[in-house]
Amino acid sequence: MPPRISFAIAALVLASLAPPARAQDFSTADTQSFLKDLQQRVSKLEGAPVKAALSSFNPAIGMAFDAVFHDSNDKASFQFRAAELSIEAPCDPYLKGWAVINGSNSGVEVEEAALETTSLPYNLTARGGRLFAAFGRLAHFHDHELPVVKRPLSLDSYIGNETQADGLEVSWLAPAGFYLNATFGAYNKMGATNARQDNLDARALDEFTYLGRLNAYADLTDSQSIDLGVDSAWSPKRAVTDAAGAVTTRRNTWRTLNGLDFIYRYQPPQGGLYRGLSWGAEVLQNDERRFDASTKLPTDRVRSYAGYSFVEAKFSRRWRGGAMVDLTEDQDDSHRLTKTFTGFLTCEVTEFQRLRLAFAESVVNVPSIPKNHTVALQWTGIIGKHVHGFRDR
Amino acid sequence: MRSNSVLALCLSAACARAAAARPLNVVATLPELADIASRVGGDRVKIDTLAHGSEDIHQVVMRPSLVPKLNRADAVVYLGLTVEHTFLPGLLNVAANPNLREDAVKQCAGSGCIDCSEGLSVLEKPSSLSRSEGEIHPSGNPHYNLDPEDGALIARNIAAGLSRVDPEHAADYKKNLTSYLVELDEKLALWRKRVAPLKGVKAVSYHQDVAYLARFTGIEFVGTLEPKPGVAPTPAHLEKLVQLMKRDQVMLIVREQQYAPKLPEWLAQKTGAKVAVIATMGKALPATETFIKMSERNLESLLDALGKAP
Repeated sequence: MPPRISFAIAALVLASLAPPARAQDFSTADTQSFLKDLQQRVSKLEGAPVKAALSSFNPAIGMAFDAVFHDSNDKASFQFRAAELSIEAPCDPYLKGWAVINGSNSGVEVEEAALETTSLPYNLTARGGRLFAAFGRLAHFHDHELPVVKRPLSLDSYIGNETQADGLEVSWLAPAGFYLNATFGAYNKMGATNARQDNLDARALDEFTYLGRLNAYADLTDSQSIDLGVDSAWSPKRAVTDAAGAVTTRRNTWRTLNGLDFIYRYQPPQGGLYRGLSWGAEVLQNDERRFDASTKLPTDRVRSYAGYSFVEAKFSRRWRGGAMVDLTEDQDDSHRLTKTFTGFLTCEVTEFQRLRLAFAESVVNVPSIPKNHTVALQWTGIIGKHVHGFRDR
Repeated sequence: MRSNSVLALCLSAACARAAAARPLNVVATLPELADIASRVGGDRVKIDTLAHGSEDIHQVVMRPSLVPKLNRADAVVYLGLTVEHTFLPGLLNVAANPNLREDAVKQCAGSGCIDCSEGLSVLEKPSSLSRSEGEIHPSGNPHYNLDPEDGALIARNIAAGLSRVDPEHAADYKKNLTSYLVELDEKLALWRKRVAPLKGVKAVSYHQDVAYLARFTGIEFVGTLEPKPGVAPTPAHLEKLVQLMKRDQVMLIVREQQYAPKLPEWLAQKTGAKVAVIATMGKALPATETFIKMSERNLESLLDALGKAP
């Protein structure tokens, strides 16, 4: 037997012969001291104030950058379109608030600043403040969230950029086995650049804009679905003042903007990272009494139509491409039609960075007006807060 | 008058009984969570699932048809650690259910929220948060559903959550939990022996979602096809990965089912490593409908690829 092993065996025998009571006493005292120490440390931790600064309650903050190189009929420019700051947080258990502040070449503007309830009964949700009214499919998307570089002319001219509105909206989710949502809204006016009403003036109740929208959805198969929407924005009266401040007329000045939209999606659950297709369309009908821009005098009542349709296909994890057609009748002269054809190719570098190349041709059915060709390269990046909203899905 | 009172009493008693008999409406985000919730809840729960199972877990589509399910739900069971951030908070925002509210940090806030990650020993917690590190999860790696041992934690959290929402039937949930854990323990004992040959095997995965699988199997993951989490592979990164795999003698490439086979197969050709396809959610692959089947299938796939299947 090697001497090292003999030594180990001897040590073990001696250890086993040692008085057990003393060993136990030492061990118990040691353990008790250890436990007491642990107990003191845990008590300190439990009793300690939560390590949090007042800034812990700060809202989630994000910013979207959107820049475009734009060439239209050989006249080019770099366009700083948006540095869009968005902040959002719950106010309390029943309310959340958000704001979107956009800086661009045209200045700094509060695009949205709204509150929304989170716990109303009967499937109701109320939101109020400055918000993007729930009209149509793409009209309430921020510019950088659109599938194309430039907002379709139909939306731009009939709504006035995004559906920005100061007012109140209530949505109701039908308690059914399928998705059906109804929204009712009342606003000063709808459309960021809609100049029919002054947003700041006080007005009679019949000079507000009232909205109703129904939105339904159905899964056609596991990979195919359809979204349908129908809406109407109604402004009962419009007061137009001339240079001297006199009201021209309020008679027969009601305006309705009706819309119908759908989007079909093919999104295979298997391979959805790489494949997919969306086909969407929206038709708008504007019915209003027009006013001469220079004299402020009333002219005829005009009913005009506009709309767009687009297809977007996902080719791979990064690449998407598609086309859009937009047809817009002039709101003063419904025989004057502008057709815009757009092709676009998008590279999603990551989830937070996107490059998009677009080519658009615009034709007006008036012989003296030349065709307009536009090439645009868009670069979009997002920092900070990252949320996937249901409405802008 | 007396007959009216008796009738009213009978009606209210009948209503109360009907309410007590009504099963809980439970929505699970992922199929394997739905499976465990159905085992723990038994006939006391009616389960709906949000994801099909074959999607990328980070990109489950926010279908409006899921909104009425969440609107009616008494509870929602979710994996947590922000893994469902692309669809769960957005759906809860419009579901108009005061017991299940959208929450930017926890995904869900309210009495019906059952977060299966509570008490988890979280791996790969980021030391700092920056998007320059890719699409990292602020709370740590959320893919603990790939560790078969974490099935017990998930089941316990579901039992605790259901008992909180429906305390009258807590004893039933506890009994069902015990029965499920016995079955899972038997499987775990078997699996621990079967995965012994995987210990120390060097591997790469497509996405950084295998930390918990590595903890159970002992596989040593040395890289990913994605240069950073959520960032699509680039040629330069793949070339470096080939060099790394050759240098470290990496034998295994783990492809999560949702990723296309093209690049892993190219990598296999370049390095001689074998490709194993795993499910990151239940129902992602055939015979992965339950948590136990998914775990078993994943382990078999890893063993098969290395030619170590029994």
